[in-house]
Amino acid sequence: MKLRSYFYLLPNIVRAFFSKPDTVNYPSITLEVADRFRGSVRIKAQNCVGCSLCVRDCPAQALELEKESKNSFRLIHYRDRCTYCGQCELSCRFDAIFLDNEYDEPSSNRAHFIVTLVERVPEE
Amino acid sequence: MTRIVVPIGPQHPLLKEPISFLISLDGERVVNSSLRLGYVHRGIEKLAQQRTYVQNVYLIERICGICSHIHTTTYCQAIETLLGLDVPRRGLYIRTLLCELERIHSHLLWLGVLAKNIGLDTIFMYSWRDREIVLKMMEEISGGRVSHAVNIIGGVRIDLDADRLTMLESGLNDLNGRVEELIGTIERDRSFAARTRGIGKLTLEDVKSFCVVGPVARASGLDIDLRRDAPYAAYHELEIEVPVMNEGDVWARSMIRMREILQASRLAKQIIRTLPKGPVSTTAPRKVPPGEVVSRAEAPRGEVFYYLRSNGSQQPERLKIRTPTLTNLITLPEQLKDVQMADVSAVIAGVDLCIACADR
Amino acid sequence: MNILHMLFEILIFPGFAFVLFTALFFHWLDRKLIARFQGRIGPPWYQPVADLIKLFSKEDILPVGTNEVFATLLPLVSFAFVMTASFYLPFAVPTTQSFEGDIIVVIFLLSMPSLLYFLAGWITSGVYSILGGNRSLLQYFSYEVLFLLAISGTVITSGSWSLAGIRSAQLTSGSYFLPQLLGFFLTVSGLIGKLKRDPYDIPKAKSEMVAGPLTEFSGKKLGLWQLTNQLQTVVGLSFLVHTYFGGYWQMGTVGGFFTFYLLLILLQCLLSAISAIYARFRIDQLIRLNWYALIPLALIHNLFLVLK
Repeated sequence: MKLRSYFYLLPNIVRAFFSKPDTVNYPSITLEVADRFRGSVRIKAQNCVGCSLCVRDCPAQALELEKESKNSFRLIHYRDRCTYCGQCELSCRFDAIFLDNEYDEPSSNRAHFIVTLVERVPEE
Repeated sequence: MTRIVVPIGPQHPLLKEPISFLISLDGERVVNSSLRLGYVHRGIEKLAQQRTYVQNVYLIERICGICSHIHTTTYCQAIETLLGLDVPRRGLYIRTLLCELERIHSHLLWLGVLAKNIGLDTIFMYSWRDREIVLKMMEEISGGRVSHAVNIIGGVRIDLDADRLTMLESGLNDLNGRVEELIGTIERDRSFAARTRGIGKLTLEDVKSFCVVGPVARASGLDIDLRRDAPYAAYHELEIEVPVMNEGDVWARSMIRMREILQASRLAKQIIRTLPKGPVSTTAPRKVPPGEVVSRAEAPRGEVFYYLRSNGSQQPERLKIRTPTLTNLITLPEQLKDVQMADVSAVIAGVDLCIACADR
Repeated sequence: MNILHMLFEILIFPGFAFVLFTALFFHWLDRKLIARFQGRIGPPWYQPVADLIKLFSKEDILPVGTNEVFATLLPLVSFAFVMTASFYLPFAVPTTQSFEGDIIVVIFLLSMPSLLYFLAGWITSGVYSILGGNRSLLQYFSYEVLFLLAISGTVITSGSWSLAGIRSAQLTSGSYFLPQLLGFFLTVSGLIGKLKRDPYDIPKAKSEMVAGPLTEFSGKKLGLWQLTNQLQTVVGLSFLVHTYFGGYWQMGTVGGFFTFYLLLILLQCLLSAISAIYARFRIDQLIRLNWYALIPLALIHNLFLVLK
């Protein structure tokens, strides 16, 4: 048994050699993400009332509410600032804002990261 | 003989995070060393004073990339104590479960770093491969591999269904076997022992005089563990054994950490089996009554300490964070005395530094 | 026609291009094997070539105070040394005339890059380079002695100081691999030191020495150093095939050519496995191991061979 201690890892490497690799060839395959993965911020626009609860609690100031009147407001999401913590989903009392596990492609264009989640203009 | 001063850091392959060591060498022997901190200071304590309690949870989570959950746990605990909130038991259990999973993740990561530093890349790859299991489990239950965003003031945000519990159970069983294998390597592999045994020795007296915490202290024979000594979250309802060893060298530290992984997975299984029913959180008011509170928790690296003073507004008046790395860091010049240059990497890795924690 | 033929032999096959290709292939094999031992996928086959192209197209920077002439000459000279050695160790295709004592020449040619490696550490003014250079010299005095002593076992048995003599002696008496298993492993141990592979990579230990003597090198020079090391691996391995496995293959035949390559691949597997399972030695551990254990063992082994 003492002799084994000089080649302790030998059986391990032989086993690893003959079994499937544990790593994956990343960019050429797509990875499965968990259901609860926080990938992007979405909204059910019809539920949003523009109460700014999510804006108040956002730790990264990634949400912005431009409010003109009760029925005229715009909720903007700055994805480049967002930390995807999910606090907005917790803060929302109207079941409007939520996170899902899809995530977007990266981009070098800043405008790509500014998303208007809700845009409500008063009906004429 | 002329002395050579070797700078290690702030950028060096040996270090994963920026810290600077200046090591004076006499041939291959280290005669003197000094360290300098502050390269990742982000002013989190000050920043926390300018944000609301709710926003701070996510700020605190980003202090450290490895033990993010334990920081939020300690922080939420402090506020819950001030508010006098009664957190539901199920919430506490899930919080504890994440703490233990994180401990497993942190210790496996550490073993990989140590193995890499002593040139045993195979163990590095193996331990990080096994760490992937626990990362997957954490992602599955919380949605994040590192930033879990599980803790909220008043409980936790996630709930566990039966599917997830079985997934956890089988994952933990799988992990146990692999960790046993790693323990076998540490215990019996000559080449690992040759580079870790008798290195970076700290005696029990040293440990006491430096106020060392966590696995480093336990490897030198100091039997401290907050989970048992001052139970928080759900620990008072769980059975905990604290592994203690007397060698006090890097080897003993790796053994202690591996045993803690087994212990953590036993705890996690206890939690899965005895998970109480009910809600996972209560609603917390946004304003915290004036007062001050100290909150402590056993992070993977040792005791983490939070002091919070509130003045009745939505923002904390003062938040003081003391992490285990900061206390353990002080022992490094002592440990580095008279070791060989080649062992510097093993000694530095052995303490399990988290510079981001120490600098905040 | 004759000159063209000679040029072809020197530059393409079995000369320059072929040897380089083999070196790159074995470097890839090494990385792939270690990756598989560690449970990883490993690099694709063109990775060493891609690395080389990348390094050769990069900007070449040297720190202020470095002697530029020396910094350029050192990798070139050490590459030349190893390349010359490769001509004495034909890859199963007869090229150079073997003469009595060429084994000494090959050992000399193979040990020169280590010395130049040390010099590379000294001419650049970085602290890691100097320390790494010191370490490589310290290491040099242990593995080089071992390598020479262990390899002389084959010389003693065959009674010849030429590679051709050792080969032909093995063709009649059978390979020395099995009867001199101990000597073979001692030689491998010396060779690992020569190649500065894990676990003997003390001079370039990543975790404390950054890249050792080569820390300040970049671009083409670094590429050339790496190529030298890759070439050295193949040359060292084929040296073993010549001295310990001479009985298994015949020079100049197609079967011999393939057996030669198979043996090279098997030896590469051995080296990769050794790299994968051991932690890096400390310099004092290495010297103690070599001078207290392996070198006396080699001496006893040789004494035993002489008496037999």
